[in-house]
Amino acid sequence: MITRFITEVTTRFNPFSARAKSARLFLSFLPANARAQGMNVTTQLLPRSSTEPSSLYIKFKDGKEMKLDCEAMNIKSIVEEVDRHSRALQKADDLANA
Amino acid sequence: MPPRLRYTVPRGLGSVIKPSRAPSTPFVALLPSTPAVTLAPRQYATAAAVSRSSLRLPDDYVPPTRPPTARPADARKSQLLRNYTSLLRSTPLILVFQHNNLTAVEWAAVRRELKLALANVSTPGTDSADIASRAQLQVIRGRIFDVALKIVEFYDPSQVAPTTVSSASGEKVQVVYNHDLSKSAYNVAKGIAKGEIPVPESSIYAQISPLLVGPLAIFTLPAVSPAHLAAALSVLAPSPPAFPAPSRKKNPSYYEPTAQNGLSKLMLVGGRVEDKVFDIEGVKWVGGIEGGLDSLRAQLVAMLQSAGLGLTTTLEGAGKSLWLTMESRRSVLEEEQNGGKEAKESS
Repeated sequence: MITRFITEVTTRFNPFSARAKSARLFLSFLPANARAQGMNVTTQLLPRSSTEPSSLYIKFKDGKEMKLDCEAMNIKSIVEEVDRHSRALQKADDLANA
Repeated sequence: MPPRLRYTVPRGLGSVIKPSRAPSTPFVALLPSTPAVTLAPRQYATAAAVSRSSLRLPDDYVPPTRPPTARPADARKSQLLRNYTSLLRSTPLILVFQHNNLTAVEWAAVRRELKLALANVSTPGTDSADIASRAQLQVIRGRIFDVALKIVEFYDPSQVAPTTVSSASGEKVQVVYNHDLSKSAYNVAKGIAKGEIPVPESSIYAQISPLLVGPLAIFTLPAVSPAHLAAALSVLAPSPPAFPAPSRKKNPSYYEPTAQNGLSKLMLVGGRVEDKVFDIEGVKWVGGIEGGLDSLRAQLVAMLQSAGLGLTTTLEGAGKSLWLTMESRRSVLEEEQNGGKEAKESS
């Protein structure tokens, strides 16, 4: 996953729900030095009885915001969705720096 | 995860006592060399014939130190499974964390801070110091831990039927192989995975299994000690009013970037305290019990004692009032009698 262009990640999920899996896996995909390089990661854990759907909010360097529905998407499709925008940013970055 | 142990299986002995293979070298060669002059050659032959059959182990001989297992017993995963089952059986308090790509230095910093905080709440030379020294934060393998949870909860070793094997001397003996790596334990775990064995909603496994997703670490305490739990929570998952992080003045190393980076990637998702599964709020509630379990017990004892006192006074009351009535009646009667006598004497 390309994480270079992500500036903000906000997740909310109830760990006791099976639907929280993709949100939790997304967090584990962020590299070890992501926070040190200025990525803002906020996680809010909901209580066990909560039925609120798990959510994932991502903000990119160019200001694009993504609200992903973790209930319906698995981790593969989330990564795909995020990478789709990141690749465009990477292409623009490569052209600018070349 | 425990450190990898490297050792080689002694092969020389294994090949000697391997059951199905007869010793390839003639037995004569194994005998200590004796001067040939004193012994007749015929005696060699008879000795060899008797000893060869007695030396050979029966085909279905199972060495008592190596009971049969469903998966290779010397594999790392098998030994991890044993490790986890014994941990689950012996540990009343487990906190489950998700760790997101902590580096080795960050783990070291987190463990150092944890150790420091636990040492602060325990007095040396007592039980609390023992608890602190045996508390550990370890990364677990999710799948193996999952299997261990199943085996600990659903596998009943006493239900396993004995199998018949031969002892070294050739007689048949009944042996029960019901250890955690046995075929029967394996079948239970497999049956649950396949859905053949039903898992009730109220079981610990059904409650805790949604937590076991992604990279996991567990913090274990050998006893339910709210003081130690509170110390661990204030380091690993600080929440200001009840479990504040150690102050910068008292513990500057807690605020080093490595420790802070590591802690920000460590996420408490839930826990198991005795046979109950708790979310974060529940874990905090356990950590917030004032004075630990002893104070809870003292409260309970006081409650029961006061209830008992009330009951005894109630029960005593009826007898007491009866006794008082009878006593007063007796005194009245005695007075009457005496009064009558006095009246007679006076007349």
